[in-house]
Amino acid sequence: MKLYEMKSAASRKQEVANIRSKFPNKIPVIVERYAKETNLPILDKTKFLVPQELTMSQFVTILRNRMQLQSTMTFYLLVNNRSLVSLSRPLSEVYRECHDDDGFLYVTYASQEVFG
Amino acid sequence: MTYEGALSEPEDFPKSEEPVWILGKKYSTQTELEPLRNDVQSRIWLTYRRNFAQISDTTFTSDRGWGCMLRCGQMVLAEALLRRHLGRDWIWTPAESSDTYLRIMSMFEDHKCATFSLHIISQLGVDEGKPIGEWYGPNTVAQVMRKLTPFDEWNNFSVNVAMDNVVIMDEIRCSCQIEGERIWRPLLLFIPLRLGLSEMNPIYFSGLKNCFKMPQSLGLIGGKPNHASYFIGFMGDELVYLDPHTTQEAGSIAKKLTEEEVELDKSYHISCAQRMPFEHLDPSLALCFFCGSEKEFDDLCNRMRQELIDAEKTPLFELVPTRPDYMKDDSSFEGASGINVEFEDHQLDSDDDEEFEVLQ
Repeated sequence: MKLYEMKSAASRKQEVANIRSKFPNKIPVIVERYAKETNLPILDKTKFLVPQELTMSQFVTILRNRMQLQSTMTFYLLVNNRSLVSLSRPLSEVYRECHDDDGFLYVTYASQEVFG
Repeated sequence: MTYEGALSEPEDFPKSEEPVWILGKKYSTQTELEPLRNDVQSRIWLTYRRNFAQISDTTFTSDRGWGCMLRCGQMVLAEALLRRHLGRDWIWTPAESSDTYLRIMSMFEDHKCATFSLHIISQLGVDEGKPIGEWYGPNTVAQVMRKLTPFDEWNNFSVNVAMDNVVIMDEIRCSCQIEGERIWRPLLLFIPLRLGLSEMNPIYFSGLKNCFKMPQSLGLIGGKPNHASYFIGFMGDELVYLDPHTTQEAGSIAKKLTEEEVELDKSYHISCAQRMPFEHLDPSLALCFFCGSEKEFDDLCNRMRQELIDAEKTPLFELVPTRPDYMKDDSSFEGASGINVEFEDHQLDSDDDEEFEVLQ
């Protein structure tokens, strides 16, 4: 995680505190491409402030549209590099359960691997 | 246990209290080893082949080294054909020569006139952005299957690929119903997933096991990293699979009249399945299901709801009655979802190089 490595925990925490005070109803999410991903484009932004009532599925739709992906292409959003989380769940819930100690929610996107 | 005994016994299924599940059927390795092996051997095992007619204008006369995921897709299709025409209890023997069986087998011959041949599949893959000879992922092969089946009038399959981990029931149902007729097109459902980034997240193991227990299961296509296989069941914490990574001679079993044709037919069946731990499974895979009737589809949905979704804290996928508004096809999601995106500049700390994008 680039941001994670670039900045100290203290400065990341400070950043979250600042932005949360300005946007108390929005969730700070870091969206990064999986390091080994080659099919999907890199987003021009990594830091998002997302309405807390948005579902994971809606968030996926936003990102898919942003990348202009064809509907037959795979796009998976994994929280903390591990799980898909139920797409019907609101971000507020996912945030409560999965956010990092620094206050960000980290998600990674990837398509599917290929096999020979 | 004597050493001799251990040696004489093939290592496919060790005797155990744990049952083996193969495509919705349960076997005991203590009392049902023979029927279990017969079941495995009855699956159509498609592997790399060599010395076939070259694929379109390429120089490929073998798929060794690149065709494994395509072979896995073919195996799912072959399993669907067996299910539809011969039933789940059908058992292959070297003497099998029914017209139905021979017709199914002819569809997978390695030349461009066979409906489900590697030649046709790899050709259709070109439109999906895969030049011939390139490696496929599970979703790509499923997408190609979707394009392939309209050419097969015998079966009239409806192939559905559930994207974004969402299975939309009414759309699948509609695709299987023919207007004005009380006919159900046999359904082939693929659910492509990614259950982790570099490795499988173990929370999904129990869901995958439950999939193999369903009578509608066609197994799953996936693999070890780089190495595709067709997974047909499990035993305890190990998956049971057919591995396409054996290169065999291409040919036609035709009517199985000659000794060569009978021998060639044997190369499409293997009695010893392989096993590997769930942990070794690559997280990119696709679940596969077959429903020959609407009743079977209703039953599948009920099972998915009860055994895969309600029973799990983190389900493999979602099951919804209709397409949610925000997933509707629309060039701009703003209209479809009622969400507006606004680009705002928020200069934060002086050392901050990137601003937040605020979604409204």
